[in-house]
Amino acid sequence: MRSNRTGWGLLSPTLLILIIIGLLPFLYVLVVGFFDWNVFSATGRPSWAGANNYRRLVFDSDFLFSLRRTFAFTGIAVGIEMVLGFLLASTLVQDFPGKAVFRTIHALPLLVAPIAVGATWRLLTIPGLGLVPFYLDRWFGFDYRTGSYATHAFVTTVFMDVWHWTPFVTLTMLAGLSSLPREPMEQALVDGANRAQVLRFLTIPMMMPVIVTTLFIRLMDALRIVDEVYLLTGGGPGLSTHYVGIYIWRAVLPRTDYGYGSAMSLLVLYLTIVLAWLLFIVLSRVGRQQS
Amino acid sequence: MSRRVVAILGILLVAGLLLSACAVPAAPAGEAPAAAEGESEAAAAPEEASWWTEAAAPYAGVTIRGVSESTPPSRYAQEVLAPMFTEQTGINVEFEVTSWDEMYNKAIKDMEANTGIYDFVYIEQDIIYTYLAQNFLADLTTMMADDSSLVAPDFDTSKFTSFIDNFKDPTTGDLFGVPMEAFIKVYLYRTDLFNDPDIQAAFKEQYGYDLAPATTHQQYWDIAEFFTKYGEENDMDLWGTTVQGHSGHASSTYEYFETIAPTFGVYNWGVNLDTWKACVDNGGEMNSDTAKEALSWWLGLLQYAPPEATSSTWDEVAASFAAGRAAQGFVYGENAAWIATDADRSSVVGNVGVAMPPLSEGVMADAESGAGYVGYYDGGAFGIPHSSKNKEAALLWLEFVGQESVQADWAAAGSRIVMNSTFDDPLIQEMNTKVDDYYAKMKEWGPLFRGAPPFPFHNTLRGAIDPFIWKAIAGEITPEEALDGACAAAEETMMQLGYGE
Repeated sequence: MRSNRTGWGLLSPTLLILIIIGLLPFLYVLVVGFFDWNVFSATGRPSWAGANNYRRLVFDSDFLFSLRRTFAFTGIAVGIEMVLGFLLASTLVQDFPGKAVFRTIHALPLLVAPIAVGATWRLLTIPGLGLVPFYLDRWFGFDYRTGSYATHAFVTTVFMDVWHWTPFVTLTMLAGLSSLPREPMEQALVDGANRAQVLRFLTIPMMMPVIVTTLFIRLMDALRIVDEVYLLTGGGPGLSTHYVGIYIWRAVLPRTDYGYGSAMSLLVLYLTIVLAWLLFIVLSRVGRQQS
Repeated sequence: MSRRVVAILGILLVAGLLLSACAVPAAPAGEAPAAAEGESEAAAAPEEASWWTEAAAPYAGVTIRGVSESTPPSRYAQEVLAPMFTEQTGINVEFEVTSWDEMYNKAIKDMEANTGIYDFVYIEQDIIYTYLAQNFLADLTTMMADDSSLVAPDFDTSKFTSFIDNFKDPTTGDLFGVPMEAFIKVYLYRTDLFNDPDIQAAFKEQYGYDLAPATTHQQYWDIAEFFTKYGEENDMDLWGTTVQGHSGHASSTYEYFETIAPTFGVYNWGVNLDTWKACVDNGGEMNSDTAKEALSWWLGLLQYAPPEATSSTWDEVAASFAAGRAAQGFVYGENAAWIATDADRSSVVGNVGVAMPPLSEGVMADAESGAGYVGYYDGGAFGIPHSSKNKEAALLWLEFVGQESVQADWAAAGSRIVMNSTFDDPLIQEMNTKVDDYYAKMKEWGPLFRGAPPFPFHNTLRGAIDPFIWKAIAGEITPEEALDGACAAAEETMMQLGYGE
């Protein structure tokens, strides 16, 4: 009983912080989602809207489009990051000359703030002035314009995200790989398994907790991307890189449509949780089958 | 050995950082002389300086915080006027200049949440009606009437141009903002290209009339087409026109509705201000045939604009013109002076002409009668949020920047004029000759230009329209579809906000 009380006492600061920065804002957003509230309306006050904001977003074709684009962006970018990060980690776990230097340089993008990443990539890719369009035109005669062509803008946002976040995946995978026991791998090799079989039947199953954790973190981050893409393309051209975070941002800040913005935020949170849960189930099954 | 090298490099790095930290920050190019003159002028007015010291004595040591858009006039206020004010009053000014979007977000959130972070904010002319409707701002007239010790001897609202009327409550006439910048969005063209005899001859041969700044939309189109081909044929980085056509930023919506549409005769964004309706069927004009013609014309110009046009906001348009990449364009007047005079930043110094935008028939008559306007009269003021915790100190700052004595240097640095006397100042007269009479033209043409319509929901309405303009720029929808969709979205938004039945 006494130790129970001590435990709660020790936990209470953490719980308090979680309630203040996690639970209360969530409840606030939940409540606001049921109101029509625009500070620039004739009254300026919130009025009860019931589920109207949720009904509205189901019929909002631009929102649904941005949701699809976000999933496409997340799937492609995170997929590339996971594969690339794992390969790089597999390389870095071995010794080779200049390894420390490469690892340091490789991790540098992580130190850059997302807003600075967006600004830098904008400077690099701005049509007519940036280095990337200049050299693509000079060397390959390729007319690269992120402001005009939707595909160019989309691919550039994927590249930017891969550049920024692959080091994170590499570092977490590297930590995981470094902590794996060497004996099972060595024994498998002695028993005649080749490297691909060791990777498939030993390394990946043993790495599964690290892979799943990294995947979830990247997934949640990519789904709510705003600042980098906003700086790079502004969500354009048209709505081609108007990912859901930017869509919500525009509804809540310039348009001050708080009720609708809250409803969208909650839907995206719900979808993120469902997606993470499904992935967890699938990956757990795959891991169990392989082990 | 390697450790020693690392240690030496480390020491050199630290020494370098210390030296750079101790260096005197350089004033922005083109502004240094103005700053020096401004300072000498301020120093030559000991009587006024003592008034500021006396009036500010109760607030000495107070820090006031403000936020503004990063424009040449705002940067001048931050870098030159704020230190002068601090020196004379002992009131510290923390002046944040940031992007246009961020400036609005910060200011609106602060005033709405009543947090009191900011003591003064930039109020663009187009947002003042929204702020007044929400009672976001402190009434400066009342503040000065309540405490005469806060009224500076050199602050006189009657000295301002009529632009100050934008910042008065239409019913009471009380002042809510002190104008700090005002300029017209002008038609700039390259005089070196337009006056070249060979180019003139080639143009006349092709189009059958003399090359001169366009007075009609067809002429503007011809000139854009001509110079784009001229650039291609001569292997030059030259295009026929600038277009503020960012396909994901509000600046493109503004260029169409505030600069292009009025020259075709579509005013107030095509919104009927009496009924709050935008579609033709309901008495609006946003999707009228004229509006669609204007949008098609503007989007068509993209083929004659530099490749950066679809990524260009107002800043990039000015930069493109200054880099000599366009023969003509619509450029915010705040950039005219530096483009025409600052050789460090502009490659077209001495080759900049200023003209009236091309107009459709009847638009000039509308503008002269007050029924319409020929283009955008932009500008802003500094105001005090109702939530400020240092209103008195902020009022002193507003009056300081509203003194007649600081206006000329400020105008030279930022091509902005808010007082009538500034037009006649010798410094501006001298600058005027270098900028193709921009200041004189601003004085003469000013009444023909107009700011944004008095929407009490400016940002919300624009946010509803933006996606249609962006999709049209990206070629996802036609100009006709864009304006039909935009007017429907505008009406839906206005109704949601409680305007128009």
